Amino acid sequence: MASQLKTLYEELGRAFYSKPTDLKKCSLLLPKLKLGLIEAGLLLPQSDVNLGDLVVARDILEVGAFVSIRTRDVPSFDRYFSQLQTFYTDYGESLPPSKREYPIRGLNLIRLLTQNRIADFHTTLESIDSDIINDNPFIRHPVNLERWLMEGSYSKVWNAREEAPAEEYKFFVDSLMGTIRNEIASCEEAAYESLPLKDAATLLFFTNQSELLTFAQKRGWQVDLSSSTITFKRTGEEKMEIPKQRLIAASLAYARELEQIV
Amino acid sequence: MTDVEMKPAEAKASDEKKKEEPKPAPISPVAEIKINVALIDRAVSTLEPRFTHRVLRTLTALRKRVDDSVLRDAIVDIYPKDNPVHKALLSWLPSAPASSDQSMEVDSSTKPSQPELVPEAEMYLRLLILQHLLKSEDTQEKALELANETVEKMQSLNRRSMDAIAAKIWYAVDRAYELAGELSDARPLFLAAQRTASLRSDEEAHAALINCLLRSYITYNLYDQADKLVSKTTFPPSASNSQFARYHYYLGRIRAVQLNYSEAHTNLQQAIRRAPPPKTAPGFYQAVHKYFVVVELLMGDIPDRTLFRHVVLEKALTAYFEIVKAVRTGSLDNFQATLQKHAAQFEEDNTYTLIIRLRQNVIKTGIRRLSLSYSRISLRDICVKLNLDSEEDAEYIVGKAIRDGVIEGRIVHEKGWMECGTQKNGYGPEVSEVFGRRIAFCLDLHNQSVKAMRYPLNAHRKELAAAEGAREREKELAKEIQDGDLDDEDLGPDF
Repeated sequence: MASQLKTLYEELGRAFYSKPTDLKKCSLLLPKLKLGLIEAGLLLPQSDVNLGDLVVARDILEVGAFVSIRTRDVPSFDRYFSQLQTFYTDYGESLPPSKREYPIRGLNLIRLLTQNRIADFHTTLESIDSDIINDNPFIRHPVNLERWLMEGSYSKVWNAREEAPAEEYKFFVDSLMGTIRNEIASCEEAAYESLPLKDAATLLFFTNQSELLTFAQKRGWQVDLSSSTITFKRTGEEKMEIPKQRLIAASLAYARELEQIV
Repeated sequence: MTDVEMKPAEAKASDEKKKEEPKPAPISPVAEIKINVALIDRAVSTLEPRFTHRVLRTLTALRKRVDDSVLRDAIVDIYPKDNPVHKALLSWLPSAPASSDQSMEVDSSTKPSQPELVPEAEMYLRLLILQHLLKSEDTQEKALELANETVEKMQSLNRRSMDAIAAKIWYAVDRAYELAGELSDARPLFLAAQRTASLRSDEEAHAALINCLLRSYITYNLYDQADKLVSKTTFPPSASNSQFARYHYYLGRIRAVQLNYSEAHTNLQQAIRRAPPPKTAPGFYQAVHKYFVVVELLMGDIPDRTLFRHVVLEKALTAYFEIVKAVRTGSLDNFQATLQKHAAQFEEDNTYTLIIRLRQNVIKTGIRRLSLSYSRISLRDICVKLNLDSEEDAEYIVGKAIRDGVIEGRIVHEKGWMECGTQKNGYGPEVSEVFGRRIAFCLDLHNQSVKAMRYPLNAHRKELAAAEGAREREKELAKEIQDGDLDDEDLGPDF
């Protein structure tokens, strides 16, 4: 490996492990390192490369993934993650396991969850061993969150937000809460006719009323301040309509087919 | 799907023996191979792939009856001793124990010196040897070697008339790699072959290769790649039923993982319909039904009870039957207990993650049952009856159920209860939709069967000639009657 790459790598290590992490320096160093990796043919490794070099490359990418989460750059995390996948799956057997692998996989799962990409979430989950899903705290956390979300146990999700197994998980908590609130709101619209303001606030996990009021305005709820209740507009009873177009099209199709048979 | 291939063989073995005995001496396997080789030769010379297909249909039955000596005799009979193919093929089999009778057979077969055999025949024999080698564990390494050599040879020959056999060979090659535990290493080879097959519109091999690739991806849980493969390729519509059944099965599994249950359901159903009869391939039938049951549950339906009494399925699906019972009663406790009890089996079947997803369905079914039997029920009671952790949870869960349309009703927060609305009646546009789907299916079936009919060339000429002859005879008869020189007894007792 080129010596220049090595010094840069050591510099990155120093910047990343110093407390607090020097994010600015990391994000300056990372593009240079990536260029270096490409020149050394390690970013998308081909068949014959030194295992030690691969470990370094994986390390750089992992740091990159964490840095992009801390700088709140999700698309960049996405890119790092897809680059890391080669190292985790294709070289999984020949490389020594990385202790950052599961935190990063877990973060990826949470990311999919917050973006409401449930199908991708499950496809990704399928590639992880079931023992690890049950035992590894980094993976178990997003898996539990998903289960509760699907069930509708939103309060459990809310309570779990502080139990994140790693610092980086908290970044997603806010957006996750946004998703949950919208979910709850749509449930309330269907399930209640009216709701006292105070209860609505607890149900939606708001601590003060002004936040609730802005949220209510966004969703178009009618707030009656004098009796302090929220009334939800009922989506009018579904009208039964005869789907004329479709019935006609179907009948014509049958006629044509029968004509062919007889 | 390892068990899928193995089980049929085991189950059939005992069947076969029983059947074989009363039969009035079936033709010996050596003779059958010889006939098959002749048929293949005919198929190539007349450009009629039909004959090759006929040969390949007997493959499964023949495979069970083949052993070292049968293959050896067949090769010796078919190829003269100085033919290079003769030596190449024999080298894959252990040498014969008694050489005296072998030489005799060679003498007899060389006399009617045959013209040069088509390479398809060699490929057919290679396929038989390959399948034979795969049967026992000791020879699997050899099988892999043979597989590689055969693939090379097949690709260098590049003959369209070989396509049908090639498809079978690809499947055997896939199996050889899998048994050697090197399935992921074979992927580049298969991907390249798939491209070639697609370019040459070699549809049978194409179908077989797509299935091999899907299988390889799914074994390693790479559903993402499998899905991409499916979206980037078109499965050849002329593929055989068994290939289609496999394809639908894999597709069903992919879709189930992606939470696209309705599509998964359709695919698995297709797989069941296209699969060979349950008794001949019980392994595949069971594997598909395992997924089918789980997907049906995930869709919120309860599978038919008769399904679990089916002779082939009864034993294999016991664990699934218990899960169905737990879901049907909507009891979370029961569900968890069953899940724990059969966890090992579900993991082996690769259905564990899917079954875990059923938890929410159990809750939904529970709520639905409550909403049907009560017109008003307090959240606390729901909590107790469904074993939920807190009333707060119950409120959210019921709210979600109402929004998702599982139940009709509303929550009265101040009083802390749920009021249930009336049920929708069963008539509406949905009914016509269901009928429409069924009619479309029947019509499609009809059209497909019309398309699948075969008319042998020039067969109508014969009929015409026969009709012509009949008319001639009639005319003669009429003339004879007119002439009056017909005896009474010739006309029979009716006159």
